[in-house]
Amino acid sequence: MSTLLEVQGISVTFDGFRAINNLSFEIGLPELRAIIGPNGAGKTTFMDIVTGKTRPDTGTVRWGDMGHSLLALSEAQIAQEGIGRKFQRPTVFEDQTVRDNLQVALKKPRGPLAAIFDKTSSPERARIAEIAEEIGLPDDLNTLAGILSHGQKQWLEIGMLLAQDPKLLLVDEPAAGMTNEEREHTTALLKRLAESHAVVVVEHDMEFVRRLDCRVTVLHEGSVLAEGSLGHVMADERVVEVYLGR
Amino acid sequence: MSVFSQNRSVPIFIGILILFALGVTVMSEAYGTGSISTSFTKVLGMTLCLCLAALAMDLVWGYCGILSLGHFAFFGLGGYGFGMWLMTARTEAVVRANLAEGVIPATEAEISDATALQIFSVVGAEDWPWMWAASDNLFLTLVLIVAVPGVLALVFGWFAFRSRVTGVYLSILTQAMTLALSLYLFQNDTGLRGNNGLSGLQNIPGAAEIGQDRISIWFFWASAVALGLTYIGAAWLISGKFGNIIRGIRENEQRVRFLGYRVEAYKLFIFTLTGMLCGVAGALYYPQAGIINPDEIAPIASIYLAVWVAIGGRGRLYGAVIGAAVVSLLSTYFTGGRAPDIDLGMFVIDWVDWWPVLLGVGFVLVTLFAPKGLGGLVDYIIRKPSREDRQ
Amino acid sequence: MPKRLIVATAMLALAFFAGPVSAQDRDLQDILQEHTEQIADPSRRTVGETLDALVATGHPGLPGFLTRWQSREAWLRNADGLFIYVEDEDADPLVLLDISTGERIGEAGSREVTQLRPNGGVRRVIGSALVQFQLNSDDPEVRLEALEAIADDPEESFLPLVEERLEVEEDPTIRARLEVVRPGLVIAFAEEDAARIAAIETLDGNVSLAARAILNRLLTTRRDVAADVPGDENIARLLVPGSDALPRAEAYDMLVEAELAPPLILRAEQRDVLAANIIDARVGGIPVQSLNTDAARDTAYAALVVDGLADPIPTEAEIAAVLEANVFFDAYREPSQTVTDAARATLDSIEARVGVYRFFDLSLDGISLASIYFLAAIGLAITFGVMGVINMAHGEFIMIGAYTGYVVQTLIADYTLSIAVALPLAFLVTFALGVLMERSVIRWLYHRPLETLLATFGMSIALQQIIRQIFGTQARPFTPPDWLAGAITVNDVVSISSIRIAIFILAAIFFVLLWLILNRTRLGLEVRAVTQNPAMAASMGINPDRINMLTFGLGSGIAGVAGVAIGLFAQVTPDMGANYIVQSFMTVVVGGVGNIFGTLIGSGMIGGLQKAIEWLNPSNTLAAQTYMILFVIVFIQFRPRGIIALKGRAAGD
Repeated sequence: MSTLLEVQGISVTFDGFRAINNLSFEIGLPELRAIIGPNGAGKTTFMDIVTGKTRPDTGTVRWGDMGHSLLALSEAQIAQEGIGRKFQRPTVFEDQTVRDNLQVALKKPRGPLAAIFDKTSSPERARIAEIAEEIGLPDDLNTLAGILSHGQKQWLEIGMLLAQDPKLLLVDEPAAGMTNEEREHTTALLKRLAESHAVVVVEHDMEFVRRLDCRVTVLHEGSVLAEGSLGHVMADERVVEVYLGR
Repeated sequence: MSVFSQNRSVPIFIGILILFALGVTVMSEAYGTGSISTSFTKVLGMTLCLCLAALAMDLVWGYCGILSLGHFAFFGLGGYGFGMWLMTARTEAVVRANLAEGVIPATEAEISDATALQIFSVVGAEDWPWMWAASDNLFLTLVLIVAVPGVLALVFGWFAFRSRVTGVYLSILTQAMTLALSLYLFQNDTGLRGNNGLSGLQNIPGAAEIGQDRISIWFFWASAVALGLTYIGAAWLISGKFGNIIRGIRENEQRVRFLGYRVEAYKLFIFTLTGMLCGVAGALYYPQAGIINPDEIAPIASIYLAVWVAIGGRGRLYGAVIGAAVVSLLSTYFTGGRAPDIDLGMFVIDWVDWWPVLLGVGFVLVTLFAPKGLGGLVDYIIRKPSREDRQ
Repeated sequence: MPKRLIVATAMLALAFFAGPVSAQDRDLQDILQEHTEQIADPSRRTVGETLDALVATGHPGLPGFLTRWQSREAWLRNADGLFIYVEDEDADPLVLLDISTGERIGEAGSREVTQLRPNGGVRRVIGSALVQFQLNSDDPEVRLEALEAIADDPEESFLPLVEERLEVEEDPTIRARLEVVRPGLVIAFAEEDAARIAAIETLDGNVSLAARAILNRLLTTRRDVAADVPGDENIARLLVPGSDALPRAEAYDMLVEAELAPPLILRAEQRDVLAANIIDARVGGIPVQSLNTDAARDTAYAALVVDGLADPIPTEAEIAAVLEANVFFDAYREPSQTVTDAARATLDSIEARVGVYRFFDLSLDGISLASIYFLAAIGLAITFGVMGVINMAHGEFIMIGAYTGYVVQTLIADYTLSIAVALPLAFLVTFALGVLMERSVIRWLYHRPLETLLATFGMSIALQQIIRQIFGTQARPFTPPDWLAGAITVNDVVSISSIRIAIFILAAIFFVLLWLILNRTRLGLEVRAVTQNPAMAASMGINPDRINMLTFGLGSGIAGVAGVAIGLFAQVTPDMGANYIVQSFMTVVVGGVGNIFGTLIGSGMIGGLQKAIEWLNPSNTLAAQTYMILFVIVFIQFRPRGIIALKGRAAGD
């Protein structure tokens, strides 16, 4: 297992509020990791920094074997490097079909001219069908994404991540608003993905995290409070204090 | 072409456009029964140009979500570009004829000087401004008609999109751009004859003996062809992955960005492309209007462009065309004084005066109650399946 | 005699000669009769005494008579020696007028009367006497008039009078004027350079236009050319042909003018010469139809020159040589170099000071423009900042505010009172309109901000046209009261109109009021809560509907008040709002949304910048606006969210 992403000593301040405080984090390939933490612990901001949406005041974000910095890259460049992100609220293109959504996400040249003269080849069609199968939407390829259920949208978004063929997947609250059955499906999907990808799951739901059965990082007030198996971190007094209040 | 099969509006639109153009020709003064006057032919041709500009506006706003309130600046630049050539060539012909009456034949320098004097004496100048350098070269002029609006759009867009100015801010910025341009042109010393603008554009150089009745039909057809080709091109452009991406940008820019697309590049592409299209539309429009002045590119003109697209229904190509055609033709009808006044006994509704009120209120109502515009009505009538909603 | 002096004289009759009662009882004619001889045939030597005697009587009619006498409009009736005026000197017979009452007293042929024709010397003495009266008048207006007259038409004899007056004058305005007029007279008439230089130096630091005019007059130059630098000229500078100050063509024209060089033959003249020498469709052996290039024409012309049919054209080398052989210079009309040097030094020092004042004046202009922008934009900043609503009809609210002012003024005659009524009324009218618009249209569009832009644009066209229907296209008068119509003038460089001060004060009041409302009241708290997180605010029991309605009403109401203020100095027309809308948007965008400090800074920046650009290129306000907009466009690149931007999650991107 080689190190894929290495975040070191990052801090970021919004209007005097320190959202991330000297945070360090590391993930290898392949690996499944859950990040938990109370509201305002900096989970989303952490993702914003890794994906280039927010620039940290200090610290480094290194990527891949060569360990080059991501900080100077734009969101699009970072995505092209192989980091996919699923948002907390499902964001799919609601007035486009599932097929179009997946097609847009498919890993191909990203320039405008390439897009204009794009022709969908049959391997690509097959790949789209395969992904649709994987996310449980094989019969909905021609359905508008806007009329999918909340859970289906979550899956579609994960499917779009897959189509991007990233090395690292950042998944923000994938189980929110899902039925139990859907959750199981999602858990299985994420575990399967983690066999060949690095997957970071941000989640509130402890039950879901338990099912993932992976290494857990606990964030609190912008820095890492504890790290280890779920059992290990839940045994940590400070974690209990943060979660149960003092 | 797959565009025709994918987007049913394309064959229908092209068919209607051809029928319309043939119909106008058959009824024209020059080539037919004469039941459509030459001036009305020009109005129809100009309307087609406005439809073309509206089509461009629909691409940039309806599909990509960039509410530009400055696209008429590009329209005006196209008009000025072609107008410079028309005016130079026409004036030079007149000057040549005058100087030929002298005992000694005129030199080229004398002709050029006299032409410049003729054109610029109205603003108290007598030399050619630098921006007229290409005005004696038709080929170069045709290139510049597309290139100048394109470069302005490119530079402006590059600055604006790079710093992620979006939404309302971008609208205001584009509005500022067109205001700055019109104020610039209003100055007498900037080389485009200040508030006098360019005039006599309806006279085609070298075609003095050909009547306006025939020229008007030619321009009408040129406008129709430009509109038809643009429609097909636009339908093709939005039918594939590119179309999905720009609609994605309209819906959620951030998502597209995290998929690895450089949103700025796409926006810049569509902004520049539509700027060029507007340039072409303007170049075809003003020879039919005969005159262009800086008032044409005042911010309100660009807002009207957005209004047409909104009334027609954005995000559907035919919507933009319908909106521009209906609203501009109705405006011509009502403000032309031809509409009968309505006598309410104690109060007479005079359409010339009350049309703007009706337009304004009508526009509010459309925004409130028919956000899909007249195009939505078309959808409703022919009961298209929902997939067509977005085309 | 300048007309002004006559007018002043008439006033003087009342003002100065409110002298001894006894004098008024006596008839002017009687007084004059005592000096008939000296008046009828005065000499330079004796007229002084006569005048002293006349002045001593202090008769109120005297200045009038002196004026007439001086300008040869007084007559003597030969028969009885009475002094009279005539109605029209060219009439025949002449109509005679009484010198005291101006009534007709009869007619006479031209031989029966004698026109009094004092010679130049006498007239100057009379003039001095008159000026002396006026300069010492009790009415400062008269004194000022007299000074202006002296400055317009200076004479050496005025100098002692001005100096005498300077010693006793107490009115600061007149004193300031005297301090300029005196050196002016010295410079014009003193014979010693030392005295003139001393006078010039007293003007140092005086930024008044009059002082600068005096110095500039001293420094006027004329341009000339000579074979060598002339020794007897006060040379201001030597000029190099081909420099910016003296283009080559101009230099050569000067040589031609001075007959130091043969004239150039212009292309047009060359063509005329060619046309005049056509023989058998040829000129100089070249066929006429091939004369359509400069080269062919030159060849043909050269042939004509050889034949002696045309003047030779000077060649480049000849032109260069003759330019080289002569010197071009600007020479002062004032011959004394020490005087011009002193004047130059003093003027430079004055100009430096003027520059400082001008900067100050410009800053005042900038502040006043910023106040206007602030007033126009602050309402927009509130609706845009708090609600994210782009109100394109904002300009129309300004316009309606101005029309409210106009309507109130047609009902209430007193201008001050009408403004006092118009301000709150305009607020109420536009507040109501704003609330109506919010309730009927805008609230349905909160989730579609770009569409509010279009819907409010529709409202704006409709409102504009409705007002046009009611009031017509013509500008309506909305007049400020007198106390607002004037200007505060610090000196000839710095002045500011009262109305602009009033607008500044109004803007300041609004700023403070809004700050208090937004930061110190429950409403403000709720407004800020809704701005930052509407959903959260709603869950805290704040009714966002009500807040939105009130906020929009407030923003619109302020636009109405701004309209009253703007209407006082701008044209009140149906489309006046359009002039402010884009500027207002830019002010808000530059300043940063949702923050009245941002609007303040934004308006300050835009107003100041526009004035600064106008200063660089004063002739062209259009260019200033163009560059200002370009600046804003570039500025947005660097601060897309304005100067004061909300950061972090509240920015909501």
